[in-house]
Amino acid sequence: MNAASPTLLQALSPSDTEDVAASRATLAEIDRSCRGPLLFLFAGGLAWLLIGSVFAIIASFKMHWPDFLGEYGWLTFGRVRPVHLNAMIFGFSTETAIGVTIWLMCRLCRTPLLHGWLIMVAGVFWNVGVAIGLVGILAGHSNGIEWLEIPSYVTPILFVTYALIALWGVITFRFRQEKHLYVSQWYLLAALIWFPWIYSAAQIMLVMEPVRGTVQAAVNWWFAHNVLGLWFTPIGLAAIYYFIPKVVGKPVYNYSLSLVGFWSLALFYNWNGMHHLVGGPMPAWLITVSIVASGMMTIPVITVGLNHHLTMWGNFKKLKDSPVLRFMVFGGMSYTLTSLHGVALAFRSVSEVTHFTHSTIAHAHQGMYAFFTMVMFGSMYYILPRLLAVEWPSARLIRLHFWSCALGITLYVFPMIYGGTLQGMAMNNPDIPFLDPSKYSVVTMTLPYLKIRSVSGILLVVGHTAFGISFLWLVLRWLQAARLARPSVAQPQSVFPRLQSAIRNSP
Amino acid sequence: MIIVWLLFICSVVVLPTLALLALRWAARHGEFDHLDKIALSIFDDEEPLGRMTDQFPGPASSSQKIQKLS
Repeated sequence: MNAASPTLLQALSPSDTEDVAASRATLAEIDRSCRGPLLFLFAGGLAWLLIGSVFAIIASFKMHWPDFLGEYGWLTFGRVRPVHLNAMIFGFSTETAIGVTIWLMCRLCRTPLLHGWLIMVAGVFWNVGVAIGLVGILAGHSNGIEWLEIPSYVTPILFVTYALIALWGVITFRFRQEKHLYVSQWYLLAALIWFPWIYSAAQIMLVMEPVRGTVQAAVNWWFAHNVLGLWFTPIGLAAIYYFIPKVVGKPVYNYSLSLVGFWSLALFYNWNGMHHLVGGPMPAWLITVSIVASGMMTIPVITVGLNHHLTMWGNFKKLKDSPVLRFMVFGGMSYTLTSLHGVALAFRSVSEVTHFTHSTIAHAHQGMYAFFTMVMFGSMYYILPRLLAVEWPSARLIRLHFWSCALGITLYVFPMIYGGTLQGMAMNNPDIPFLDPSKYSVVTMTLPYLKIRSVSGILLVVGHTAFGISFLWLVLRWLQAARLARPSVAQPQSVFPRLQSAIRNSP
Repeated sequence: MIIVWLLFICSVVVLPTLALLALRWAARHGEFDHLDKIALSIFDDEEPLGRMTDQFPGPASSSQKIQKLS
């Protein structure tokens, strides 16, 4: 080793140099400014995840056991299922997405979160809004429009709260210290603008000033499809583009390809949605435009997939050591799979079979869970130890979380796609009855797949519970550590104390 | 009905205009120049290029040693 080479200890804890100390102080200041608001948002999101999971299990059991909790009016399938959906979409997913967006934006802009207490206030109102909305659905006040079931009297709370948070994202961007935009910032900024557009458009056209007839279905599908593609997807991709290179310590394979992916998503995605109405009473050109746009989506999907895969190339062994990488790579691969599956589903010949079947439900879960939720889990595994300067308490709980969720969602998606396709073929066959318990019928043939879905749901609940315990344990460790010694801005506690301690003690 | 028309105008005029302005701003501010340098902007002295920045809690395994990219 020559004199200029750093020792391993210096490489791990290089606080001796001024540049590193300054860099560490900047990151610590950013993390400190984000700590309260993000902890609140993540805790709220996690609570909704657990609540939503319970309702998911109830809804899933009801699909093959209709009498389950059948004596309670407020627990009928028509109420339980929307509560699950809205708890996951507006409770867990949106809240976590906002938290991850704020942290990424601050880190990439190299700017601390300004007036973070306002985000906390917004977070409180968001949670109150979601809670009132879900109770409203259970009480029978649902709008009856898929993905927009939350009663209209809650919408203003959610909208104003969201506007406040989005404004804060833009303000952080405005005061950035880093001149150039990393690709994740393109995705995040676009998502912050796209969501209020699609949400307000759907609210106006379906709830406030409802359009007439089949146009309602068109707007509903446009919203349901775009809330996934223009709100959750960009944030998920922004996280992957940041965390995979960051964890493996290697820049994204081809940066220009990542920009092609962003702009092609921006150009093509919002034309999608109408392909779900193949065979419906809609103008054929409208559906065809959506099918063509779905086909064009192969451009951003392939560019993103190639970039993720080739960035990981040569680093797959690191999956063994990094929980963040496991969740990110699982999410990234699921994004490629679900998007290409979505392109296939858009074609008329395929849609004629799979539409109105469990295949569509599997596709939605593959996008929302196997891709987006897994990426959010990975993001939280990276962010929280840095916010709290405390290590995750148990590797075993993390492994349990990952494997339960990975196996659970795999067991959910593939049998349901297969079963849903068979269901569609049965529905198109006039010789097969819709419901006849004595022989092969459309309803009875789906039962095995629905039971597998319930088993997968239990696996997912196990994973979520493991994550919940990890989170609570981490926060308790942080509170304990804070009581003993408050970390300073200039010399924050190490994120990896055990590793550093092991290196220091090594001969 | 007015609000629906406003929405329509917003969707077909305002949003595409914003997108074009964003593209113009990006081109003028050099966001599409020196892309390799921008790709490295997520790394810093604290979390530099070549260092793995995440691991399971607990004793480090041999494969977790810091590796410089070749």
